[in-house]
Amino acid sequence: MQTTQRHGLSFLRTRPGETPSRSALTLSATLAALLLVAFIAIPMHRSGIQWDFSGLREYWRLYVEGWKTTLAISAAALALSTVLGLLLALAKGSPWLPIQFLARTLIELLRGTPFLAQIYLFFYILAHSVHLENRYLAGTLILSLFSSAYLAEILRAGIESVSPSQIESAQALGFTPAQTYRHVLLPQALRSILPPLAGQFVSLIKDSSLLSIIGLNELTQNAKNVASYTFSNFESYFLLAAGYLLLTLPIALGTRWLEKKIRYEN
Amino acid sequence: MKRLFRLLCSFSFLWLGIPSANSRPHDLLVVGMELGYPPFEMADSKGEPSGISVDLAHALAEFLQRPIQILNLPFDGLIPSLKTGKIDLILSSMTATPERARAIDFSEPYLQTGLCLLVPRHSPIQSVPELNSPKHTVAVKQGTTGHLYVLKNLPSAQMLVLDRESACVLEVVQGKAAAFVYDQMSVLKHWQQNPETTRPLLDPFQKESWAIGLRKNDKALREQVNTFLRSFREKGGFQQLGQRWLPEQKALFEKLGVPFVF
Repeated sequence: MQTTQRHGLSFLRTRPGETPSRSALTLSATLAALLLVAFIAIPMHRSGIQWDFSGLREYWRLYVEGWKTTLAISAAALALSTVLGLLLALAKGSPWLPIQFLARTLIELLRGTPFLAQIYLFFYILAHSVHLENRYLAGTLILSLFSSAYLAEILRAGIESVSPSQIESAQALGFTPAQTYRHVLLPQALRSILPPLAGQFVSLIKDSSLLSIIGLNELTQNAKNVASYTFSNFESYFLLAAGYLLLTLPIALGTRWLEKKIRYEN
Repeated sequence: MKRLFRLLCSFSFLWLGIPSANSRPHDLLVVGMELGYPPFEMADSKGEPSGISVDLAHALAEFLQRPIQILNLPFDGLIPSLKTGKIDLILSSMTATPERARAIDFSEPYLQTGLCLLVPRHSPIQSVPELNSPKHTVAVKQGTTGHLYVLKNLPSAQMLVLDRESACVLEVVQGKAAAFVYDQMSVLKHWQQNPETTRPLLDPFQKESWAIGLRKNDKALREQVNTFLRSFREKGGFQQLGQRWLPEQKALFEKLGVPFVF
């Protein structure tokens, strides 16, 4: 009875340690694509809207410029928020109480208030008071800060997931705290935090769209402008969604690749 | 395989079988406006719609003897909502422009105003053409006629497009923007609220009229709306609205020798 009889649709089910057949993969992919198309195309058709992208052609440059700006802001904020997030995570775990409390307060403030309010208050009050008038710089800064609070929590959880005995072993071997973090904690923490980390990076890219409220000409802002020039709101938002997917999909695929790589190394 | 096919079929039928979500009384008049433009469209302390346009909408509903519902929608969502039948008409201080007229129909105009400028108090700017230089930032509210005006007529200026009127004013107050392009009454109001930091240039450089937006080819309703507007004007309804909601502005306009909007 080892060779279980398979019939009907059961060949589409995966079992641990078994690679699905090529035909199963093809069929499943086709099915998923069909369902997705149906879920998008049928409501699109039923809405009764006449889809017409021709009016947007005149403004393609705005989309490209906006996309590039979103890419630049997101990339800068991604790097900066990683550094800030790591600092916040370390500060939260610091043996010095004032540092610990400061980090905790900052994290709770940034996570517990709407990003929209933060952008307004940061740009028109905080940045204005120190004569930081460049809205792109201010926008990137507040986006990095906002995201770093979430990253700090993710990193902290990752670090705490490594068993304390490892730290003790590192200490016993004469590792400094910095060495312990660099060679013992971080490599192991990385494995468990990769999925939430990728999610946070994707969120960061999408959150950058809120910066349009202080007048940054990024992708969302430009798409909304084109919509108000052409009244093609739906078409314009369609392109907008595609533009963000173009930025977020590489992150999802990249993390999956990295996850596999780390798994092999261990 | 067969089972799968059948499963798929039932799925698609499920989709096609959903009735359009339209279960409101058939004579309900749904009016769309953005409640963010006092005193025309705003919300009172209880969150209920109030203002000139709200009074006008109720007078219209009474005239048509239809129940009314006012939907609060963002300004740039009004035309798409009208086109997709979510609302029956737009009454939201909307200027009748040729661009918009390609997408929707308009009633006869009910109000005349014009675009003018709010500038920082100590700014040397005296007229619009001076702004057409890369060293000037000009704030506009997204999707307004001011936005389109700057796009077309001030190509060299740095156009700063913002979502909120209040942010546009703040940009001028803080001196980040050299001017905010908006309609006369709003500019007047913002100057009154910020007399220490701003200055109005009220002379209109582009005349505009506001009208009620209707779906293309909704001829019957358009006729009814036009009839209503004429009779409302004859009965002095607009005068009363001006007295009730804009007494100070009316007096200021008279003092400055600029004709009032109604």
